[in-house]
Amino acid sequence: MDYRQSAKEILEAIGTSGNLVSAAHCATRLRLVIADNSKVKKEVLENVDGVKGVFEAQGQLQIIIGTGTVNKVYDEFIDLAGVAAASKDDVKAAAASKAPWYKRMIKTLGDIFVPIIPAIVATGLLNGLLGGLSRAFPHLSDSYFFGLLNLFSNAALVFLPILIAVSAAKIFKGNIYLGAVIGMIMIHTDLVNAWSVGDGAETTTLWSWFGLWDIQNTGYQGHVIPVVIAVFLMCKLENWLHKKVPEVIDLFVTPLVTVLVTGFLTMTLIGPVFATVESWVLKGATSLITIPFGIGAFLMGAVYAPTVVAGVHHMYNAIELSMLAANNMNIWMPIATAANVAQGAAALAVALKTKQKKLKSMALPASLSAFLGITEPAIFGVNLRFMKPLIAGMIGGACGAAVASIMNVYATANGVTGVFGFLITTESFVGYLLTFVVASAVAFIVSWALWQDEKPQEAPAAPAPAPAEVKEEVKEEVKEEVKEEGPSDIIIASPLKGNAIALADVPDDTFASGVLGQGAAVEPSEGLVVAPGDGEITTLFDTKHAIGIQLDNGAELLIHIGVNTVEMKGEGFEAFIKEGDKVKKGDKLVKFDIDKIKASGYSTATPVIVTNTDDFADVTHVTTGSVEQLADLVKITK
Amino acid sequence: MKTFDYVIKDEIGIHARPAGNLAKKCKEFASVITIAKGEKEAGATKLMAVMGLGVKCGDTITVKAEGEDEDAAIEAVKEFLEANL
Repeated sequence: MDYRQSAKEILEAIGTSGNLVSAAHCATRLRLVIADNSKVKKEVLENVDGVKGVFEAQGQLQIIIGTGTVNKVYDEFIDLAGVAAASKDDVKAAAASKAPWYKRMIKTLGDIFVPIIPAIVATGLLNGLLGGLSRAFPHLSDSYFFGLLNLFSNAALVFLPILIAVSAAKIFKGNIYLGAVIGMIMIHTDLVNAWSVGDGAETTTLWSWFGLWDIQNTGYQGHVIPVVIAVFLMCKLENWLHKKVPEVIDLFVTPLVTVLVTGFLTMTLIGPVFATVESWVLKGATSLITIPFGIGAFLMGAVYAPTVVAGVHHMYNAIELSMLAANNMNIWMPIATAANVAQGAAALAVALKTKQKKLKSMALPASLSAFLGITEPAIFGVNLRFMKPLIAGMIGGACGAAVASIMNVYATANGVTGVFGFLITTESFVGYLLTFVVASAVAFIVSWALWQDEKPQEAPAAPAPAPAEVKEEVKEEVKEEVKEEGPSDIIIASPLKGNAIALADVPDDTFASGVLGQGAAVEPSEGLVVAPGDGEITTLFDTKHAIGIQLDNGAELLIHIGVNTVEMKGEGFEAFIKEGDKVKKGDKLVKFDIDKIKASGYSTATPVIVTNTDDFADVTHVTTGSVEQLADLVKITK
Repeated sequence: MKTFDYVIKDEIGIHARPAGNLAKKCKEFASVITIAKGEKEAGATKLMAVMGLGVKCGDTITVKAEGEDEDAAIEAVKEFLEANL
């Protein structure tokens, strides 16, 4: 079929794009929001090639086209109609924008700094290596070759504002080259280098605000936040201009005005103000962690892990970069290392002490990855769950950080902690090693002492099964684990025997549209619903036609027997379970009378819906056609 | 925070479809919206939790909204309840 032709005919039938508010599509349908429904010619729409049906629901005009085709028609459609594509991603982005402002800000900072870490790591590692070499062979540092390598080792820091500007422009959706220009202006070679100013170089006044406030011709070497703010302003201005400036002159007017205005504001206002603010923040952070006798570092080492839990740690990149840019001494990183390896050691104690296979198999790799600098698995997967290991890790982190502070440990890069941190701390090898050992040892010992292994949690739930069954259950549990930790797909088994159909084909808009969540449906051939997996019954309606079940694998299911069967008030339904019951895969849940449902004039199609669809990347049905009980029905991608 | 009480008039109470549509409506707002029946409280966007309240005809529910757009949210929920339940 000709997608473009169909799209064109659809557009004409709905009264052209003037009558179109927004367009999206799901797996099978175009979903259009229409300004004036009376202008829509339904009969014409229904006869368009490829259109299988048209109806209105939830304020949308839904045009059924079919899997694999709908997206192609949609692409042509939005192209012809000239509207922006609205997709599920927009909805997700909108959800993200609902986070509180400070969380969004911290996330944005993280998004800007994380992509440039490779550049900092490369130069930082080289810097560390050169430092080590020149101490081992003092005459080497006089050679030209060393000078050459030295260029590589600090280029990224010398031109850091440009890297940050490019990354920020990308995040704030501006032109990255214009962003780079703003960064370049800020460290232009005609300006006096900020580092030389610190050493006493002369500066002259560039501009004066009413004779009250003089702006010096100083560069912004060593500054991070002013660059981010300047580029943020630039992107807002650029995008605003793109909208306002007529297209014929947009190409030269917009960049010109953008750079002119942003550059001026940056050099005279944003730069000076935020450079001052930044130096306060940096001074604050530095003086906090350099409170004498390691007290400050001790405190920071203790609260570091909780700040990871809160997600604030993305901000630390800014502090570390500022420190590096200021004097190439990152004294934050050793504290991070202490905190990270301590969490790893605390998790390691759990891994070695526990007799629960599942916990052991999770805690061990989590602990190792923490030693390599990635702490989330250890913190979230193990330590936070039991709290005591987290506290042990905080104590270890505090002690290690105190050692680092007393021994004046510093790094020459950021973005690397733990074992690999040795590569960027060659200047203070012994101190770093001690930091590492003290943090790990203290955390391990405290965690070992505080944390007591729990009896397997599943035990009290099951009503003391016979010994033979226990074995089988253990086997099943092991299998479940493999599934969970595998490539993160969850398969939901069919609770009914019958004919599987797509959710979109259920003769009810609410289910078909996926408002309640994605999933599949079964037209039953036998009137029995069984548990599709191990879990707990969270809801059973008085009318017994709908069952809510929380599965142990994280999925929340709604099994809704028939459509509109709520009207039957429970007649023809018999439940074997009640709310709060724990069930095993295959347990009988509800028996129902198919003929009675049919006789009452209702559809027997039984939607099986993952009601927490939003928690997963994707939920799709696996099969259509004949299904056996407990055959694979729905696939959840995490 | 905004709050109001509502007595359910629908014969069947809050079952799957209205709970789903309510959840969808509530997701449009930044505010945290909750529905309480007696002691039990549920996040309005959590379909299962809302259904788990077991709200029947004649029951009184308390709707709460807290957040930057709480006024709009509470109005929308009120409208929804009056039209559907």
